[in-house]
This record gives sequence, C-alpha cells and structure tokens, in this order.
Amino acid sequence: MVNKRYVARRFALMLASLFIVITILFFLFRQVPGGPMSAFTNPRMSQAARQAVIEQYGLNDPLWRQYIRYMVNVAQLDFGQSFYYGSSVSALITDRFLNTMSLMLTAFTISYTVGTYLGAQLGWLRGTAKERVGMVVVLFVRSMPVFWTGMVILYVFGFQLDVFPIGGMRESTASYDTTTAKFLSTDFLYHLVLPVFTLSTYYTGLPLLLMRNNILEVLSESYIDTARAKGLTNRRVLFVHAARTAILPVVTAFAIAIGFAVGGQVLIEQVFSWPGLGREMVQASLRSDYPVAQGAFALLSAIVITMNFVADLAYTYLDPRVRLGES
Amino acid sequence: MKRATATFDFDDDAPLLAVEDAVVTYSTSGGDLTAVDGISFSVDENEIFGLVGESGCGKSTVAQAILSLLPSNGRVASGSVRFRGIELTELSKRELDALRWEHFSLISQGAMNALNPVHRISNQIVEAIQAHRDVTTDDARERAAELFEVVGLDPDRMDDYPHQFSGGMKQRAYIAMSLALDPDLIIADEPTTALDVIVQDQILKRLKQLRDELGISVIIISHDISVIAETCNRLGVMYSGKLMEYGDLKEIFADPYNPYTLGLQNAFPTLRGDQSDLISVPGSPPDIADLPDGCRFLDRCPFATAECETEHPPLETVGEDHASACYHHDSIERMREEAKNRETWERTGSDTVPTGGIGDD
Repeated sequence: MVNKRYVARRFALMLASLFIVITILFFLFRQVPGGPMSAFTNPRMSQAARQAVIEQYGLNDPLWRQYIRYMVNVAQLDFGQSFYYGSSVSALITDRFLNTMSLMLTAFTISYTVGTYLGAQLGWLRGTAKERVGMVVVLFVRSMPVFWTGMVILYVFGFQLDVFPIGGMRESTASYDTTTAKFLSTDFLYHLVLPVFTLSTYYTGLPLLLMRNNILEVLSESYIDTARAKGLTNRRVLFVHAARTAILPVVTAFAIAIGFAVGGQVLIEQVFSWPGLGREMVQASLRSDYPVAQGAFALLSAIVITMNFVADLAYTYLDPRVRLGES
Repeated sequence: MKRATATFDFDDDAPLLAVEDAVVTYSTSGGDLTAVDGISFSVDENEIFGLVGESGCGKSTVAQAILSLLPSNGRVASGSVRFRGIELTELSKRELDALRWEHFSLISQGAMNALNPVHRISNQIVEAIQAHRDVTTDDARERAAELFEVVGLDPDRMDDYPHQFSGGMKQRAYIAMSLALDPDLIIADEPTTALDVIVQDQILKRLKQLRDELGISVIIISHDISVIAETCNRLGVMYSGKLMEYGDLKEIFADPYNPYTLGLQNAFPTLRGDQSDLISVPGSPPDIADLPDGCRFLDRCPFATAECETEHPPLETVGEDHASACYHHDSIERMREEAKNRETWERTGSDTVPTGGIGDD
C-alpha cells in the first residue's frame, strides 16, 4: 500500500520543477550572444527580407509574449521547427531519443545487473585474496576513459578481426517499414554489440562499488548475525537479508543514471557514429539551432526529473519504512 | 529453501554447554588481541546462567564464539566449546547450521536492529522454521501465530514490519522467533538493554517462565548486575577477558570473594537503598592491546599488594559451587568490610585507562 498523499505531493513537485526548468531554458537561450536571428538570417539578405523573417517568427513581439506562446506550444508538445533541418523538432528529438535509449538502456540494464551481483559477492568476500584481485580489476576498468576503450574495442573487433560493424545503427542499404521492425532487426542488434559492450564495461564500476560498500555496511548489522544464527546458507544470508537492504541506494542510482542517459554518451556516440540525442544536442548548439537544443534540453530535464520521481516511488515500494510513511 | 540437516551423536551425560579454557583472539594490523583469555564455565539443563561485566570485558565475544558469529578477524584460538559433548569449534558450516536455532538460538538486542527491517516479522519466523524443517508455509505460519501468543503478542500483527512495533514488542517478537524450533539453549545477549524498566521486567519474567515451563536453558549476557540477580541461577563475573568469580548466584551474592564483584555490587542501586550509597569503581578496564602482567584488576583494586603484580590469579574454589580469582581470599572478611566505604575505592590510582573493548557493542 503506497502512501497516496506522498505520491501526490511528489508528483506536484515534479511538475513544478519541470515548469521552472523550461522557463529557465527559454530565457537562457535568449541571452546567448548572437541571438536566433543571426543563425538563419544571412548578412547579405535585404533589410526587407530580414524584417519579413523576423515578422514571420514573431521575434518582434515583446519577450513575455514570445514566452507565453512558447509555453503554450510546449504544453501541446510542439517544440517548433528546426532552423537547420526545417522539420519538426518533436519528430527529430523523438527519433534521436529512441536511438539513444536503445543503446543506453541496454548498457545500463546489463551494467547494473552485473554490477549489483558482483558488488554483493565482493562485499561478502571482504578481506580475501579474491576480493583484493577483484577490486584492482574493477578500479582498473573504471579508470579507463570510455572513448579510449571504445576506440580500442573498435580497432580490435571492427578493424582487425572484422567481426562487428565499425559504426552506425544499421546497414546503409537496409530499410524498415516500422519503428519496431527497425529496433528488432538482427542488423540493429549486430550494430549494438560493440557500443553496448564498451558502455557496460565502463558503467559496471559504479553500481558494483556502491553495492559492495552498502553490503559491507549492512553485514555489520545485527540482523545479519540473526540470519546466520538461524542456520541459513551463506547465499540466503547474502541475497535475502543483506542485498535486499543494500540494494536500495543502487536503485536510486539506477533511476538517476537512466535520467542522465537520455543526454546520451556524446563521446561514445561520436566514436561509434551513433545518431543519438547527445550528438544532436552538441551539434544543435554549435549550429545555433535553438529550437532543437531547447527541445532536447527540455526532454532531458523532463526525463531526469521523472526518473527521480520513479526512484522515490521505487524506494517507497522497496523499503517498508518509507512505504507506510511514518509521518 | 535448502534445509540444514545433519545427525549428531549427542552425549547425554555431558553438560548442555561446556566452555573450557576458551581463548578468543582478533587479528588486527597491530597483532593478535586476546579478547577472551582462558574462560571455563558450564551450563546445565533448566538453568539460567548469567555473564556479567563492564562493556569491553569480552562477554559478547563469548556469545559470538558459542554461536560461531565472530567477526571474520576473530577466532577461537584454543580451548573448546562443547554442546552436549559435540565440539562446536570443529564443525563444518553445514553441521553447525543444523545445530543453530534447532538446538541453540539467539536473543539479540531485538529492540534495536536485530530483526531485518525490510521483511515481515512472520516471514522471518517462517524462514527460521523452514531452514530446518520440511513444513509448508501455512504450517509454519500457524506455528508463528502460536509463538506470538506464547510471548504475549497479538498474532494478527505478525505480518507487520519491525518498525511498526515498539521496542518491547520487537523484543518479544524476537523471543518468539528464537523459540520457533524448541531449542535447548538460548543465548540472550543484552536482551533488555534498550528497554525501559517495566518492559525489561516483563521480558525477564518471560525468560524465567520459559525455563520453568519449557525447560529451556538460557545464557544471559548483561552489563547490569541487577538483571542477572533477578533471573539467574548461576553466574560468571567477567573482567578484561577473564572470569573473576563464578558459581551459584546465591552463594556469590551472599558471600562475594572477589574485590571486583564487591565493586560491582556497590555500583548498582537497590530498591530500598539510598542513592548516595552508590560507590563507583574509579578507572576503567585495561586496554587489551596493552595488558598488565599481574592481575587484570590490579590498577583499580584497593586491596592490591606486590603479589598481585606477578601474574593473573587462578580461579580457586571457595565454596560448594563457587570459585574466585584473587590472591587475598584469606582476608575476605576485611575486604568486604572495607569495600563498603567510599574512601577505600578512592585510594586506588584512578588515572583513567582507555577501554579496550572489541566486538562488544
């Protein structure tokens, strides 16, 4: 039984944060040197043509009117037209968002599952030779810059062994009828392997170390002595009693990581030529394509805020002390 | 669930629990530390045995050693711990698991964090039962409900989480859990420490009732001599890893032979006594990393002589079921008389030495 008032309060808070973030984004982009006009008006344009464009986009209106118009549009999920592509921003960022999420979600699911499991084991093995070796390996892997690992992996598996494609999301000749078909094709999965492998290797470190530390802390609790005194197997003590409590902060970390995953891993998207949201955001900023950058940042914040909310809800589900709300 | 089973060849003539010359050490970066130094005692059927001493004296380490719950850097370096003749220190994990909870269980400071906060209390009891017996969850739940009644809790609340219970209720729930498999022996480590005196009294009465009605033996470990006085048949007074006095409770309380016991008795209030009668023993136990050569109580003992500086005195029989470790048993009358005066205790060098408690929290 989840405390309804708590959920309602958290939800209201989430909407408020979102509103504030989008407002800040709007005014922030209007303070950027150059302004939107320089991006798509040409110095060689005649004064009349320039006026026409400005009129057409409503850039003559006072700022507050522009702001209200923008907010009304955003409420209808309309983020305007891209200056660069000339197409709808919503459609563009949805496409890039799916590309990024297919990569990041897979990588995070793998790294958090493996990391949590290995972290629990390492915590249990504390003080043994196995643990010391394990920690060195983890810290070593964690210290490698992700773009460097990516390039090494690309070099070995893509160029030398030639077993995996060297970039992109699918063969350039392939075409698919539906989005689902696109993401379920073996072609896509084949392209997914190297970037996911690179990312999972990198991201496993955090949940692993977090889980290990939590396990070490939980193992000194007296309810662990109780569990051992009951004659339970080590496995059961570790996974039913210790890991069940130790996993709570990892769940939060996972939800927050997913939030930030939307921004994509710019470096990895660059190395593997992955057409994701991260790369798009960087390029949109460089091109002064404000509608795209603004839309992408708004989506990013929305997901981060939503995932924080989800993390809190997951917490209330996993921890009975929060669930029943001792007010 | 994987069940822990093994067959044992119990010796019916042996005492329920016999600890002999047990030495427990912790390995630390600064070398091995001896927390329990050659302790011997036995517990019989139908008896409540008390271990009393200041914090850091090694009494909790004794409990952990019996249950094989020592931290990973601790071990029973020598001596033996036998349950009905079975040497516990030589058992495999599997054999040990078969004995745990089935034959001897634990009552921890349940009022604190001894029940897992994220599992329902009923599930924690069912788990203990199913770890040893091949019974359905429904049967195990029925047993849990029965146990709730035994300890005076409402069975309708057994599906609650620990945080929904008050301290006293948690302690009762823990006792219910420790009774789940009808153990022969329960080791209760500070069972009432976090509870108020009224609840404490109820819990202690319940333990006595369990001994009388179910014939269960209990080891109570406490720093509170009044808890021990109220419940135990026999006791051991521990100081700095050694037993200072050991035997029948009535004999020890009527005729204490050890200066440390005299000091402990002074330091606790009696119901009718005047508050100003309380006399504390100045100083604190020696650091276990830097033990004195002589008697462990040397620095705080007002009766110490040159002889006490040689080595720690051995336990000497002073009554039918009564032993004490002191070089001055022959002048006990004088010591008892002088121990009543505050000035006696003030004459010791009361420079405070840091406590060397390990694994005793």
